Amino acid sequence: MGSASIQIHDVHVDYPVEGRGMRRILSGIDLKIEKGEFVSIVGQTGCGKSTLLRLILGEETPTRGRVLVDGWERHQPDLTCGYVPQRYSLFPDKTVLDNVTFGLEVTEFGPFSLLHSARRKRMRQFREEALRYLRHTGLQEADARKYPHQLSGGMQQRVAIAQALIMKPPVLLMDEAFSALDPGTRAGMQRLIKELWRESGTTIVFVTHHTREAVCLATRIVALAEDSAGELGSSVALDLSVPHLDFDSDEEAIRCLIREVESATLPRAGSARARTTPAYN
Amino acid sequence: MSFFHIHSHPGRAAGLILSWFLFAAGIVCYFYVAQARHRDNPDDRVMPTVTQMVRAFQDAGLKPAEDQEVQEGAESQPLITRIRASMLWKDTMATTRRFLISIALLFPAVVLGLHMAMFPYIGALFLRFFQFFDKIVALSLLPIIFIAFGIDELSKIMLIVIGVTPTIILDTFNLSKGVPREQIVKAFTLGAGDFAITYRIIFKQILPRILNSIRLNLKAIMLFLFAGEMIASNDGLAYRIALLRRHMGMDTIIPYVLWVALLLFLVDLGMNTLNRKLHPWFQET
Repeated sequence: MGSASIQIHDVHVDYPVEGRGMRRILSGIDLKIEKGEFVSIVGQTGCGKSTLLRLILGEETPTRGRVLVDGWERHQPDLTCGYVPQRYSLFPDKTVLDNVTFGLEVTEFGPFSLLHSARRKRMRQFREEALRYLRHTGLQEADARKYPHQLSGGMQQRVAIAQALIMKPPVLLMDEAFSALDPGTRAGMQRLIKELWRESGTTIVFVTHHTREAVCLATRIVALAEDSAGELGSSVALDLSVPHLDFDSDEEAIRCLIREVESATLPRAGSARARTTPAYN
Repeated sequence: MSFFHIHSHPGRAAGLILSWFLFAAGIVCYFYVAQARHRDNPDDRVMPTVTQMVRAFQDAGLKPAEDQEVQEGAESQPLITRIRASMLWKDTMATTRRFLISIALLFPAVVLGLHMAMFPYIGALFLRFFQFFDKIVALSLLPIIFIAFGIDELSKIMLIVIGVTPTIILDTFNLSKGVPREQIVKAFTLGAGDFAITYRIIFKQILPRILNSIRLNLKAIMLFLFAGEMIASNDGLAYRIALLRRHMGMDTIIPYVLWVALLLFLVDLGMNTLNRKLHPWFQET
């Protein structure tokens, strides 16, 4: 599985607000994510974390500035970026196995796969590969025949990860992917994603409002903070290089880093450009 | 037990009794009043007795209509031949044919609604038009339809198309728009193109809801069909009811109305069963 870099150059995003003109959400975001990095994006609710992710996906276009993934500006989501949202990740009308093989099938056969003569043989191969991915994400073969609503939230997210990873995307974007899970399931999923990242070397951008999760998973944290020098409510990106911690790391070091990240997300006066905090370099 | 407590649920037996009570009460009331009327006037035609209705329904189901030619020796023919030559069979077949054509014509409406929701240019072209079109009372167009399309089959089908398709189009549009955006984004990231997403993600997800929507519109379809048949037709269940009204043939009209209700109930039941079988994931969601 390859990986890709992401470059965000002076990105501004404005949204129209009914009767009140435009509202700036992101203000002058400058960010470079290298190949194979695990970057967490943190910030308070409504600060534009998901907007930033949608910009990388190509689902949204910035009002000003450019977003390049693997050197290319993209105008709609494609195979370059895998995507695991918080909810609605799985197609409810398909079984777990069909959800995971969907990408392979549609890429090979197009929209009307039933018309292809080689379909049966290839589908058998796809299913075997999908089962391998499902086992790897901790699911049983018996789960493959179930529909998404028959699975728990944690199992659904495991399937969503398998569904995204089977396409071997150079970039994996996760939008609050574990937010709806209970603490125990969440911890298991965090370990799983870190393990998969180490194995695959894919670039991961992980949006979360859970600071501990961000600190323990990422190699770098981007904190979106309110730009008090700019328009009210708009966010700037603070680029925090962090020591590579893990869930088993020293609790004091984790807490110290959490304080650092949380203080960075508070409103501050200053530049509308990304800054690097050198403390942990 | 209380009718006005939110948390008060009827037990199994009470639920069963309550759900059939109004049926039983209606039937009892009808026959009580019918018997009373027949005691006063044995020739009463407004409220026929059970015997009269059963006899009339038997005649309708086994004999040709009065306005049709009766073949010699028809009484001695096999039962199936007599049923197929009967007034009820011929009327049912005529209405069913029109009904099925109308249902088939709803398919392009579903496809159009889906495309309007998925492709913004198509949506921009059609949405406002159908929102306006949906507000036109189809029955008010009846004279225009008969003038424009004549009084044959086409006008009756057009009445249903004009009456029901805008609703189905807008319903499909809204259902398609209701599928979470995450599903579309996810499908794009898995390599699906526009048509794969439209037909393999969105259409498959909304299909059970569309079938439900069509089920809910069955009565509207029949309403428009009956209006067309009553005004301009030579056969069909509604034509027969309209014809019998002239002769005060309540002994046949009431069984015909119940027969239509039974047919509609069976279509509804069949569609519901089919929906459940085709989309097991939907019922359990």
